[in-house]
Amino acid sequence: MIAYVVRRALVAVLLVFAVSSASLVLTRLAPGDFVTESLGTHASREAMERMRERYGLNKSIAQQYRDWLAAAVRLDFGYSLQYDRPVRELIPERAANTAILAVTALGLATVIGLPLGVLSGSRRSGALAALVRAASVVLLSMPPLLTSLFLVFVAARTGWFPIGGMSSAAVTGGGALLDLVHHLVVPAAAVGLPLAAMLERLQAQATTDVIGEPFVLATLARGVPYSRVVWRDALKPALRPVASVYGLIVGTLLSGSFAVEVITAWPGLGKLMLDALRARDVFLVAGCAGTGAIFLAFGTLFSDLILGLVDPRARE
Amino acid sequence: MRTLRAFVVITVLVSAATACRARDRATPAGGTAPVRGGELVVSVRTDPQSFNWFTKRDGTTQLVTYLTQARAVRVNRVTQETEPWLAEGWTRSEDGRRYTLTLRPGIAFADGQPFTSADVVFSADAAYDEASVIADGVMVGGKRLQMTAADPRTVVITFPEPFGPGLRILDNLPIMPKHRLEPTLRAGAFGRAWGVGAPVDEVTGLGPFVLAEYVPGQRIVFTRNPRYFRKDANGVQLPYLDRVVVQIVSDQDAEVLRLQAGQVDMSGAEIRPEDYAPLRRAADAGRVQLLDLGVTYDPDSLWFNLKPGAFGGDPRAAWLQRDELRQAISLAVDRKAFVDTVFLGAAVPVWGPVTSSNKKWYSADLPHPPYDPARARQLLASIGLTDRNGDGVLEDAHGAPARFTLLTQKGITSLERGAAVIRDDLKKVGLVVDVVPLEGNTVVKSFLVDQQYDAVYFRVGTTETDPASNADYWLSSGGSHVWNLAQKTPATPWERRIDEMMARQIAALDDGERKRLFDEVQKVFAEHLPVINFAAARIYVATSTRVTNLTPTLLRPMLLWSPDTIAVKH
Repeated sequence: MIAYVVRRALVAVLLVFAVSSASLVLTRLAPGDFVTESLGTHASREAMERMRERYGLNKSIAQQYRDWLAAAVRLDFGYSLQYDRPVRELIPERAANTAILAVTALGLATVIGLPLGVLSGSRRSGALAALVRAASVVLLSMPPLLTSLFLVFVAARTGWFPIGGMSSAAVTGGGALLDLVHHLVVPAAAVGLPLAAMLERLQAQATTDVIGEPFVLATLARGVPYSRVVWRDALKPALRPVASVYGLIVGTLLSGSFAVEVITAWPGLGKLMLDALRARDVFLVAGCAGTGAIFLAFGTLFSDLILGLVDPRARE
Repeated sequence: MRTLRAFVVITVLVSAATACRARDRATPAGGTAPVRGGELVVSVRTDPQSFNWFTKRDGTTQLVTYLTQARAVRVNRVTQETEPWLAEGWTRSEDGRRYTLTLRPGIAFADGQPFTSADVVFSADAAYDEASVIADGVMVGGKRLQMTAADPRTVVITFPEPFGPGLRILDNLPIMPKHRLEPTLRAGAFGRAWGVGAPVDEVTGLGPFVLAEYVPGQRIVFTRNPRYFRKDANGVQLPYLDRVVVQIVSDQDAEVLRLQAGQVDMSGAEIRPEDYAPLRRAADAGRVQLLDLGVTYDPDSLWFNLKPGAFGGDPRAAWLQRDELRQAISLAVDRKAFVDTVFLGAAVPVWGPVTSSNKKWYSADLPHPPYDPARARQLLASIGLTDRNGDGVLEDAHGAPARFTLLTQKGITSLERGAAVIRDDLKKVGLVVDVVPLEGNTVVKSFLVDQQYDAVYFRVGTTETDPASNADYWLSSGGSHVWNLAQKTPATPWERRIDEMMARQIAALDDGERKRLFDEVQKVFAEHLPVINFAAARIYVATSTRVTNLTPTLLRPMLLWSPDTIAVKH
C-alpha cells in the first residue's frame, strides 16, 4: 500500500510541475504582457521598458522559465506582478476558500446523489424514481456556469440568499459561521447539484447491476426483505464503480467550481486565476494552475485509496 | 491622457431604441436634499492591485485613490474647469512658467498629522521615482516640474516651459503623506509601498474616506474620515456617507443582478448594451435609476497604417496610404444607418475624434460631408481604383483587386457590428474588406509593437478632455499617434503643420487663442483624415434609487469621482 501511495504521489508531483510550467510558458506566449495591460499604451516607451526590467519581463521566455524553475524547487514561486506580493502568500487563503466550496459541494453531492441513486436504481418503476431520474437528467444537461447563473437569479429574485461573496461586511464574531453557511448555499448548490445528478446516475446503474447478481437473488430467495438486501448487501459492491470515478469527479468539481466562483463572486482560486490571466500575471497564473493540479492530484489519490479500500483488487 | 488600452475599451450602449431621460449633468442627480449618514455599496470587477496609485494604474486602485486621497488642485469633471482643492488659490507669473500655490490652513491627514507644502513637494518626488507609473502625467514636454516649499502653506511650482493647461496637470497628482512614505521612498522601495498586503491602517490620506478593511476577493470597506477638510454650503461636515463598501464581483451579469436585487447601489462602470433593457424595466418599476450621461468622448476610430514603407514591395502601397482612400471611405459609409444598425439609435454620427460632449474643444465648424457613394467612387478612381473587369470590385493599375484587412476587437459588440457595416458599405463602392476580429491585446500589439497591419477599427479611450493633455495623440512624435507612431520627424507636411500648431496651442496661456489653434488642428485633421470616425455612443449608468446627490460624468470613475457629496436616502 505504501509503495502504491508513493507511486501515486510521484505522479502527482509530475502533474503539478507540468501544469505550472505549461501555464507560465503559455501566459508568456500570449500577446501583450503585464506592462501593456497595466500602463496602457499611452505611457512612454522608456517607462514601459523600465517596468519590464523591474519585473523581469525583458528576459527571454527560456531564461524566465529557468529562473522560475530554479526558485520553484526551493518553494519560491515568484512575485505576483499585480499585487507585488509573493505568490505563495496569495495562494493559500484563496485555495482554502476553494477547498471550502469544493468539499461542501462534494459532501452535498454525495449525501444527495448516492442515496437517491440507490433509490432510483433499486426501483425501476414508480413516480419517485422517475422524478429523480428526470431531475438528474435536467441537472446533468446544465453546465455549472448556467446552474450558477440560474441560482443567482433565483437568489436575486427571492432575496433568500446572498447573491455573491463569502461573508457580509457587517457580520463578525459568532455569527460569522452562520453567515458563511448562508453565503455557501448558492455556490455549493451550483457546483454540487450537477455532481449529485452524476453520482445519482452512476449509483443507480451500479445498484441495478448488483441487484441482478446471483448472490443478491439468492439472498432475496432466502426471504430477506428487499430494502434490507439493497441497503446492506448490495450497497458495498455497488459503490465500486462510483469510487473508481471519484477522482475524475474531483477534477470536474474543481474546474466547475472555478466558473462558479466567478459568477458567485466566491473569493477562491478560480477568481484569482481569472484576474491573474486578465493582467498577464505570469507567476500568479502558474501558481494558481499548479495549485489546481495539486487539488486534482490529491483528489485522484484520495479516490484511489477509497477504491483500494472498497475493492482490494485495485491495490494490485 | 488619451489611452489605447485594449482592456479599457469603453463599452458602448446600443440596445436602446429610445433614449433615457437625459439629466442636466451639472445638476446633482437624485432629487432630494442630501442627508448625512448611511452606507453606499459599490461593485467593481477586480481586486485593487495596490493602494498606491503611483505604482499601479488599475481601475480599482484608482477608485481607492479617489476615496482616500485628495489633490491640491483638481479638474471638476462636470464643468471641466480647474479648481482649487487642498489649495485655496494660486498666482501665476507673467511668463506663465511659475505658479505660487497657497494651501488651505488647518488641514490634517486622516491619522492626524498636519498637511503642509512638504507633502506636495514629496508627492512630486514620489511621482518621479523609478517605480512610479504616473510620472508621464506630471511632466511637460517630457520634463519634470520643479516644486519647492516656500513655507508650510506655500508651494512654488516652476514649469520647464509655458504650459496652457497650467495647474490642471496637478489633477494627476494625489497628495501622499510624507511622514508615512518618505523612508520607503528614500530606501528605494517605493514600488512596494502600500501594496495590498499592507495593513490597512498604514494607508492614510486627505480624502473623504479611510481604508478600514480589505478582504481579498471580497470587499474593501471605507469609513468616514473625521478629519476631512470640506463642508457643504450649509456648513455640514463632508462626506455625507458613513461608509462605502466596495464589493468585488468578477462577473458583470452577477453585478447587474445584484443591482436589480438592491444588493449593490452602483457599479464602477457604465452599463452594457445588453443590460439596458432589463435595467430600463427595473427603472420603470422604480427599483433603479438610469442616468444618461450623454455622448461619449471616445468615438470609434478607423485608421490605416501610414508608416512610410509599411507596404514596401506590396503593389497596394500605391493606394493604401492615400488621403483619397480615407476620404472615400468616410463618404461611402452611411453614418445615419451606421448609428441605427450598430447602436440601435443610441449614438450620434461624428466626423472627428473630438465629440460634442467635449464642449470646450469641440469645433462645430468642421465639415460634415454627407453620405455620397458616387463621390467616393470618383475619389477612388482618382487614385487608380476602377472596376476594370465589371465584377463589381475595384482593381488597381495592375488588375489586382482593391482589398484590405480590417482588424478589430473580438467580443465588443459595437466594434464587431461596426466593422461588418463598414465592410458592407465599402463593398457597395467596390472595395473588399476582410474583417478580422482578434483579442484586444493582439490588436493593440499589431499597431503598437509589430506595426504590420492594413487597417484597424478600434476605440481609443480618453482620460482627459484638454488637447494639450492628449498631445501624444496629435503630435507626430507621440506614442498614441496611432496611424504612424513616435515619428522622429513628421512624415508629412500636414503632420508638421499640426505639430507646429499643437506646440503653440500647448504653450499658449490664453484660452481663446488655444481654442482657435485647436480648431485649426481639427480642420487640418479633417482634411487628411488619418483617423475616420463614424459614431459616438451614448453612455448610461445605473444606480439604486436610494442614491442621491450624484454628479455623474463621462470620465471614469463616472459616479465616484467626487465621493464626498454622494448621499443615500435613509
